[in-house]
Formats: sequence, C-alpha cells, structure tokens
Amino acid sequence: MPPEKNDPGLPLIRAEALERVGNDEAFLEELLDLFGEEFESKTRALSEAISGCDATAIRELGHAIKGAAANLSLPGLQASAQAMERAGLESRIEDARAVLETLRTEFERFRKFRTGR
Amino acid sequence: MSTENKLPAILIAEDDLISSRILEKNLRTWGYDTTVAVNGTQAWEALRAPQTRLALLDWMMPGTEGPELCRRIRALNKSNYTYIILLTSRDGNQDVIEGLEAGADDFMTKPVNFSELKARLQTAGRIIALEDKLLESQKRLFELATRDSLTGIWNRATILRFLVEEMDHGARENYPISTIMIDVDFFKRVNDTCGHPIGDKLLSRVSVALEKHVRPYDKVGRYGGDEFLIVLPNCSLFQVSLVAERIRAACGKMKIRTAGKTVNPTLSLGCASSECYRRPGIGRMIKESDRALYQAKSAGRDRVELCAELEPASLRKKEKPSASRKK
Repeated sequence: MPPEKNDPGLPLIRAEALERVGNDEAFLEELLDLFGEEFESKTRALSEAISGCDATAIRELGHAIKGAAANLSLPGLQASAQAMERAGLESRIEDARAVLETLRTEFERFRKFRTGR
Repeated sequence: MSTENKLPAILIAEDDLISSRILEKNLRTWGYDTTVAVNGTQAWEALRAPQTRLALLDWMMPGTEGPELCRRIRALNKSNYTYIILLTSRDGNQDVIEGLEAGADDFMTKPVNFSELKARLQTAGRIIALEDKLLESQKRLFELATRDSLTGIWNRATILRFLVEEMDHGARENYPISTIMIDVDFFKRVNDTCGHPIGDKLLSRVSVALEKHVRPYDKVGRYGGDEFLIVLPNCSLFQVSLVAERIRAACGKMKIRTAGKTVNPTLSLGCASSECYRRPGIGRMIKESDRALYQAKSAGRDRVELCAELEPASLRKKEKPSASRKK
C-alpha cells in the first residue's frame, strides 16, 4: 500500500481501520457503506434538531457520528462530529448549524477520496 | 460456565452499530460467543441472566447508561459474578474513577485498541475461572456437609433440619407434615453373611428406591445405620400410609445378587403425621414414627404401621391399605 494512503491528513486512515477489523477488506468496505447510510439519516436528524433548538439531540447525534468515525479512522469527520457534540453540550445552536456544514463538507471529502471521483 | 478452558460468552452493550459490529467481528475471531444489546433496557435484561459473565458496556447508551447498569447489577448481587469492562470515548468527560466506583471491573477508551482488549479479556477470563473454581468448591463442601457419603441422600443433620423447617412452614400455612421412619429388616444378618460391601450396596439400592417412590417435594434422608427418615410436607396420615406402602411393595421386589446368593431385602416402616397431635413437635414426630416402626418390627416386619395416638375418627373410617397388612 502506498505510504500516502496512511497520511493522517487524509479523510480515511485505511491501514488503521483495516487493522481494527482484522484486515478484512470486504468487511471494512461494508462498514464504510454503512457509515455513509447512517450519516445521511443522522445529518437529516441533526438538521431537524438544530431547527428545533434541541441541544440534547444535537449532542447525542454528534456523539454517535463521532464514535462511528473514530472506529473507522475518519479523523476529519471525527473532529467535526466532536465539535457538534460539544456545541450541543454547551447549547450553542448557531455554532451547531455551522458545524453541520463542515461535517457535510468532510463527508464529501471522504466520499470523493473513497470513490476517487 | 464450567472450569473447562471454555471462553465465556460476551455481552456487547453498544448502541452504535459500527462499533458493535467491529467488536463482534474481533471477539468472534478470538473464539468468543457474543450477544448484542443496543440500548440500556436490553443490556439490563441480558446482564441479569445468570449465564452473562462478561460484558462490554458502552458508557453512553439510550435508556440506561453504563455506570448505572454497573450499579444496578452490583446491587442485584447475582450468584454468578459478571465481569464488566466499561467503554467510553477518549475525549469524553467520563471519569475512570466514577466508572470503577459504579462497579465496573475495567475501563477502556474508544476506539478500542484491540490488542489491549484481547489481553484484558484474558484477565477477565482468569477472574471468571477463579470464581467458577470457588463456586465449585462451595458446591462440593455443601454436598459433603449435607449428603450421606454412602447413599448420596440427605444426611441425618440435614433431614432433621428439613423436618424443623417443614414443621414451621406447615404450622404457618396450616397443613400437616408426615414422617416415615424406615428400617431394613435383618440388615445385620446381610452384613454378617454377605459382607459389608453387599450391605452397603443394599443401603444404596434402598435409597434409590425411596427417592423414586416419594413425591418430588418430599425429602429422604439416612437417619443412621440402616434407618431412613422421610419428611413429607402437606401430607395427611392417610396419604403417608399410601406412600409408605408403595415403598414397601417396591422394595419387596428388589433383588441383590451376590456370589452364590440373592438377597431380597424387606422394609419395616412407621408413619406419623402432625395432624394427629395437638402440639406436634420434632421430637414427637420422630418418637411417634419410631414407635410405629417398632410396632411394624414386632408384628413380623415387612409392613407399614401408623402412629395410633389421637388418630382422628375421620381417618379410621377410611381404608388404610397398608396398615397391619403382612406380606
């Protein structure tokens, strides 16, 4: 595997994620697909929580995305999700709105990295 | 879990699907069976089950959170210990001390370092195996303290304790307790002519027959030598006479073969019931069943006799199938 694929600046640190799943490439791909599906539904829920000023839901959804991203070694998404969790914890709804955009941007970066498009 | 080298099954309590699937994948690769709970309520149900000995609990879960589950399971004081590893986010404000004080045995941050988890699970396995050995020893000690070493039925101290407990319970619930005192006829002769191993075999076979012919909730004990005592809760004198006769008839068909000889043991049985006495006590019950046994012996053995004192008129009207019937 080329060394640049494990650059911590990348949206996915594949070698680390692979190690966590027992070097099972197919299983990792399955989990990354699952992450993508869950991300869509969770960001929709986040958008609703922000509109409804529901700080608890913002915190919980941020926490959930953060956990999944950490497990799959997606550092950019993990950091944004952590910022979302903190915004919820501190009831900073406007900040959460901005973080949601960052989160979507990070996801797009991850998606392009994965598909090469 | 037994003390064999079998890995304990692991409960994964984790609401995040990706985390739980990664955990499952690794645990199964290492040879563990797993079950998954996706919220606090499911986790609580699984934790309460006796077979759950090892659990990975996420700190943050919908329903009930990890530390609260730890507190609840410790308060439950399960007979089998459940070893708990609490999982939490590395950057979370959850405190290792709070987790351990809540009752967790170990603590790991997520994302989990799997080499470390594997080693920690081995530690958990050792603790569980130690507890299993302890429980096994306790069980063996209990058996030694309560069972008769030759026959495996309750020993004298234990059958008398059962009698005390059942008499108390019967008095509270207002139902009669009955006892049967049993003696193997001519047992000494068997020992003298066939040898002690055959005498021992006879006692064991009689014990098996006694247990087979009583009701499931009756207690059978070896009172001493070739004497047995049976405690029958919620049992009238009439009912106990039926049980005693059933036992007598069954043992009458028993044959123990030895070199050149066949031993056909018979039993003498004396029955008493607390319903016959205004103030039945343990001593009275033993004494009356013993007295009835003596009558059975005097009347020729291989028979059932009932305590006669204060026998209610209602009983006299009923047919007592075994009393004073000689085979």
